[in-house]
Amino acid sequence: MTCEEAKTRMTDYWSRTLGEAGETEFNAHLASCEACQSEVSRVGALWQGLDLLPLEEPSGKVRDRFYEMLGAYRQGLAAAEAPPAKRWWSMPAWQLAAAAGLVAVGLGIGYGVRGNGQPPAEVSQLREEVANMRQLVALSLMQQQSASDRLRGVSWAYRAEPSDREVLGALVSAVNHDANVNVRLAAVDALRRFSASPETSRAALQSLSKQTTPIVQAALIDLLVELKDPEAAPELRRLSGSETANEGVRQKAQWALERLQ
Amino acid sequence: MAEVSGGKVARLAVLFERYHRPLFRYFVSMNGNREQAEDLVQEVFFRMLRYRTSYDPAQSFTAWMYQIARNAGVDQVRKRGTAQVVDIDTFVDRRAELVSASPGPEESASRVQDLALLRRAMDQLPEDKREILVLSRFQGMKHEDIAEVLGCEVGTVKVRVYRAIRALEQIYFTLEKEKAS
Amino acid sequence: MNRFLMGGMLAVLGALQAPAQNQAQNQNPAQITVAFSNPSQPRKLVVKTMMHRVSIKGYDGKDAIVESSAISERRRRERSIPPGMHPLNVGGGGIEVTEANNVVTVSAESMFGGGDIQIQVPVETSVMVNTLNNGVNVENISGEIDVESVNGPVSITNSSGAVLATSVNGKVTVALDKVAPGKAMSFSTMNGTIDVTLPADIKANLKMKVDNGDVYTDFDVKVTNDTFDTAQSNTGRGVRIRGNKTTYGTINGGGPEMQFTTFNGRILIHKK
Repeated sequence: MTCEEAKTRMTDYWSRTLGEAGETEFNAHLASCEACQSEVSRVGALWQGLDLLPLEEPSGKVRDRFYEMLGAYRQGLAAAEAPPAKRWWSMPAWQLAAAAGLVAVGLGIGYGVRGNGQPPAEVSQLREEVANMRQLVALSLMQQQSASDRLRGVSWAYRAEPSDREVLGALVSAVNHDANVNVRLAAVDALRRFSASPETSRAALQSLSKQTTPIVQAALIDLLVELKDPEAAPELRRLSGSETANEGVRQKAQWALERLQ
Repeated sequence: MAEVSGGKVARLAVLFERYHRPLFRYFVSMNGNREQAEDLVQEVFFRMLRYRTSYDPAQSFTAWMYQIARNAGVDQVRKRGTAQVVDIDTFVDRRAELVSASPGPEESASRVQDLALLRRAMDQLPEDKREILVLSRFQGMKHEDIAEVLGCEVGTVKVRVYRAIRALEQIYFTLEKEKAS
Repeated sequence: MNRFLMGGMLAVLGALQAPAQNQAQNQNPAQITVAFSNPSQPRKLVVKTMMHRVSIKGYDGKDAIVESSAISERRRRERSIPPGMHPLNVGGGGIEVTEANNVVTVSAESMFGGGDIQIQVPVETSVMVNTLNNGVNVENISGEIDVESVNGPVSITNSSGAVLATSVNGKVTVALDKVAPGKAMSFSTMNGTIDVTLPADIKANLKMKVDNGDVYTDFDVKVTNDTFDTAQSNTGRGVRIRGNKTTYGTINGGGPEMQFTTFNGRILIHKK
């Protein structure tokens, strides 16, 4: 290996991408060449130093804008080129599509709106795309470390298709396992979207027997009454008489029993 | 990305989660402005969405993405006139704050200076050298992919990376001497 | 690491690579100061206590400073251990403060003891608190605030992060002067009033549920569900919304979801 060759392989050497034979060759050269040796150590320190520079993190806005754009794009306007002026969550998807259009504008300069319809032929495909996207957002947010993000994920889950079993599963999991009381509470409420599914009632009942947080228990009881599930009666009876249960929960269980009669 | 071009636009979301942070860091390293970097990230994903049918599945995805990124960066400069003039000193001081850490009172003072100096040296590198260093060191891109993004030979990439880190060294030690005097 | 690497710079870099764990002792014997190992990355404070009352304040500094009489007590006791011996009795209100990966954890899980724990952290820190008795007070924090209290009030003031607060028995009081957009929040109690003050220009989707109690607000809330009878009456000091189940509404056109849930208690939503 010549000095020229060694110079070009230095960065690979530090990143350990030379391979065994390559490294042996490189080390051999260094052993016999002081100039290269000193260069490798000096410059290598800098190379390592670069790794210690703090990493910049983008703000949460980047994600928000991306998902808005994705949604708006799939609202099917071929000219779509900028994020919508109104907030995503305050409008049902189809209202947004019908009412507003998007116009091409430069980056971050401003938003414009013009009335526009949407191609009828693509409606069912679009519907599927939007549903997929909502599912993705819900599932992705529900996995986040930040409890506030998971809370948002649950509100997205509430807008998923009632037939979406993946989202239902994620919600049930959140009710049973999320560390945060408020997230569990929100997840119980979101389950109402899936009231048509027989699994929902079963999951709610199972959850009730395992929950210990009173406010979540109360919410589950309300849900079971709304789902009109007679199978809930034995568990409710147990709760209404339980000495360890919160007084409010016992009252609620009693009320629920009467309602289900 | 092949899945995205197949029409499952929602899969772009997965790519977003995976790549938006490195992309952001690339832009911040290049133009120093966080807000512009965020705008650019948005623009890149938009273009990937819009031009998804032009993605060749045989091509490396990161190479394609960074090609789009570079174009978006250039376009932004054109649109906004000259590149954002960032006051290097305030930019670097802010980073020095970020960098200052805890244990060892004497060590910490000199360590802060070293990393701040290193950051400053990076910022003073000519753009093309900084870019190739960012792509290879921070984005961890393979030489072949960088070659594709920059439109040159793989061998050239290796030489250019070497030259970039040497230039960084020169600037760093010059700054160090300046500080000492 | 490459065995050829050497030089002054590297000695310094080498020191950096060791994770930072530091419990320096201040002049103040009741304080422990802990540094965050990577100050450029997001910081988190986790507090778990049983009997202590927790007070967290954001301040203009870089470290976490924990102060409690239990700390000075423990130091005093440590100094009085006879040489060659170790204490046998368990308990005594011990507090442990540790740091790992930019998360400072303060735990006081003993069933005995009590008193206050005061913690100061940089304003931009996310905070997670889990306490049993005696409540929590958080002031001047801009990171995410996640508080769970069983018996004891929760008070969060002068802050701007996303807030998730819950208590079983205890009032939840929250006053936010400004809120980063796009943050969902939730406030819940079993027994206790929920009293929240939000910036007047906030955009939010409200979800309010009370079993025994009413909702009061001076915001202009557009109630959006009509599946049951919601009686809105003007009380002169604001609007009172009474309903059987959950009331949904929007403020300023709508935005991220804010959830208010209580069993026995009132919900008060103030406009700042």
